[in-house]
Amino acid sequence: MNQEFLPTDHCLKCNICTASCPVASVTDRFLGPKAVGPQAHRFQHPHYELPDVSEEWCSSCGTCTLVCPHDVPVAEMIAKMKERPNREASWRDRIISRPEMLGRLATRFASIVNPLINSSRVRAALERYFGISSKAPLPTIARTSLNKSLRDYYVKSPNRLEEISRLTVGYFHGCSTNFFEPMLGELAVVILESLGLYVFLPPQVCCGLPLQSNGLFDAARKLANKNIKLLTPFLREKIPIVGTSPSCMLAFKHDYRAILGIDTEESNLLANSTYDFFEFILQFVPEEVNRISYRKVVAHALYHPPCQLRGHGIGTPALTILRRIPGLQLEVSDFACCGVAGTYGVKSERYQVAYAVGEQLFQKALAMNVDFIISDSETCRWWISKHTKLPAYHPLEIMARSMGIIT
Amino acid sequence: MTDILIIGAGLSGLFASILAAKRNADVTLVSAGHGGLSISHGCIDVWSKATSSLSLSRLKKNHPYRIAGKRALNIAMEAFEDIMHDASYPFSGSLSKQLFIPTAIGSLHCTAYAPISLAHSQMTKGTPIAIASIAGLRDCFPEMLVKNLRSNGYLVERSISLSLPGSEPYRDLYSTDLAYRFEDSAYRDQIAQLWKPRLSGIHCLGIPAILGIELFEIPTPPPSLPGLRLEQVLFSTAAHFGVNIILGSSAIGRIDRSRKLKRVSGITLQTPSNSRQLKAQKVILATGGFLHGGLIAHRDGSIQESVFNLPIDYPENRKALLAPSLFDKQPYEMHGVRVNSRMQPLDLKGEPVYENLFSAGGIIAGADRQSEGSRQGIDLATAQRAVEAALE
Repeated sequence: MNQEFLPTDHCLKCNICTASCPVASVTDRFLGPKAVGPQAHRFQHPHYELPDVSEEWCSSCGTCTLVCPHDVPVAEMIAKMKERPNREASWRDRIISRPEMLGRLATRFASIVNPLINSSRVRAALERYFGISSKAPLPTIARTSLNKSLRDYYVKSPNRLEEISRLTVGYFHGCSTNFFEPMLGELAVVILESLGLYVFLPPQVCCGLPLQSNGLFDAARKLANKNIKLLTPFLREKIPIVGTSPSCMLAFKHDYRAILGIDTEESNLLANSTYDFFEFILQFVPEEVNRISYRKVVAHALYHPPCQLRGHGIGTPALTILRRIPGLQLEVSDFACCGVAGTYGVKSERYQVAYAVGEQLFQKALAMNVDFIISDSETCRWWISKHTKLPAYHPLEIMARSMGIIT
Repeated sequence: MTDILIIGAGLSGLFASILAAKRNADVTLVSAGHGGLSISHGCIDVWSKATSSLSLSRLKKNHPYRIAGKRALNIAMEAFEDIMHDASYPFSGSLSKQLFIPTAIGSLHCTAYAPISLAHSQMTKGTPIAIASIAGLRDCFPEMLVKNLRSNGYLVERSISLSLPGSEPYRDLYSTDLAYRFEDSAYRDQIAQLWKPRLSGIHCLGIPAILGIELFEIPTPPPSLPGLRLEQVLFSTAAHFGVNIILGSSAIGRIDRSRKLKRVSGITLQTPSNSRQLKAQKVILATGGFLHGGLIAHRDGSIQESVFNLPIDYPENRKALLAPSLFDKQPYEMHGVRVNSRMQPLDLKGEPVYENLFSAGGIIAGADRQSEGSRQGIDLATAQRAVEAALE
């Protein structure tokens, strides 16, 4: 018997995944994780296609896998069903799943592109001809990308690293920090350095997650293998990789192996050596972190841990830091997902459902009258900010503010 | 280093974490998944035998209630009611009187505490009622419901089928779908328009649990709202009191061998990508029984405790764990970790295995929770005792 089919038989059909699925409860177009995952899996046939199993409505938030009492990888099963050849994908999906290409192009013409993105006429046209919802937030393009502003931090191979005794760490910025929010990357580097670490930027490409979410597995695998190849020399020298984008880090930690099926010594090494920013500092330099003296940040804020961060299985390390900041009154969101799930909510045909998933979170933020939102994931920040009209920050921005690095 | 590390996010683990955090302990809660709350009926069963009331002195000596004591059960229930009250999701009930909650098939579920919306059905015995079913709702069987309710003494005058506004749904609807729709006030107005003429002359209406308002609700098969609501309240209360919650990673127990006294030092946390140490002063094991991953039944007949490999009694012949019929009392229910009055797991000689390890909930041996209907009561009482002992 094919090993791959075994997880299906672990399913008790208890429906705990359906009970917790944020998408199934807001739309009847999604049959629910149990039906689309293990149940449909039972009926797979080598020659016949399954009838509509509605897997494209799954936002890949991963809640089903998290709540399953019997280790059925429900979300992973559904993610794999989305695999399709490039030619079957729409032009829109092929383009929005390549943030690196988009970012590289757009940063060159940031002064032209930004007003265009904000123009309601352009957005109406994008909606009509391209299927990008005019109500969904699109990021602002930075004039100078991180790989330009931190050019001197790039180190091509481990033997070019300075001979120093300090703990050394490679920062993986990902596309969003590189092209849309470079300040975040600069702050990450400054904080890591202030904690006594030697920080450098290893050579890197897009993690490939947007391609994977859009079913373009071949292209995603190419990027995954490229990252593995670029990072392995550093990993062999026992240098950890740290990132500020939980979705990119989850790709390294989990998706490359569990969804793209790249199960090699190198991919395992990458997974074992990858850390979320706050997970990393609390684990590797806890004493230095304990010595930080935080200034008051007088504010009332709602912290939303993104679904992708939940996939790390590390809890909410950012909260450990945020709770130490005097004056900061924190509320914690217990919603499984804000709805956007990367590129999902940006698509015209998914926007309503994505909005509905996040609606209660938006309402909670507004009812609590918070000053701002804190969330680790960029797409969550843009999405929640757009729908609540509240500013949204990465926890490390609040940390930097409290450390006096920014005002 | 955390003061208290709790393993398991079911009722006992969540409740223990809230109790400890309320007493200003630094609490970390680790769980591989969620517990079974979201597929439970959302009530607190303490002793559901309609024929006999709970009398601790009549229980066997090693029954968790007897070990935890009446005091722990009383304090636990008060604390539970307080938590639910503070979260604006109040429960109704007591330890002295049983509630009988109609289920989706019209049988009566005997419980001690139920959310107000479910407990409301108590007032209606002896008065004429109507039962509403909702067209398109999955696992909703009005004929069976009405027939069984009648034979259980309810005066069901009529049964009505209510339809939903809008176009035909794409699939059968779950109660979670309906609950979501009812959040929208415009939709509620539409429903009111549509249903009002159908409800004339009805004084009391029983309806599947989707509303969260004061009719009386009948819990549906999973996904069921009362269980989900209870779980959500407990998670957000725990977060509110500062519990550090880590979900999605499993725990492997670590033993401290540096000292003469046998102690645990915490766990190795196995995340999807790597593993690391989590140190703790005290550990409360709330991993549940066989269905929840706390106990593992091996093919050779042995039973293993999944985190610290604690000693567990098991019969020589594996078949002795199972009754011939699915509906009989199952002998495996009685197995688990034996504990003392401080909820410390014991070795086969009756001595605590580790002085700083405590346990709560379904992992504890000595009760047939299913046939006794004592599951949630044991969860709460033992969690109460475990936290008390751990913070002594």
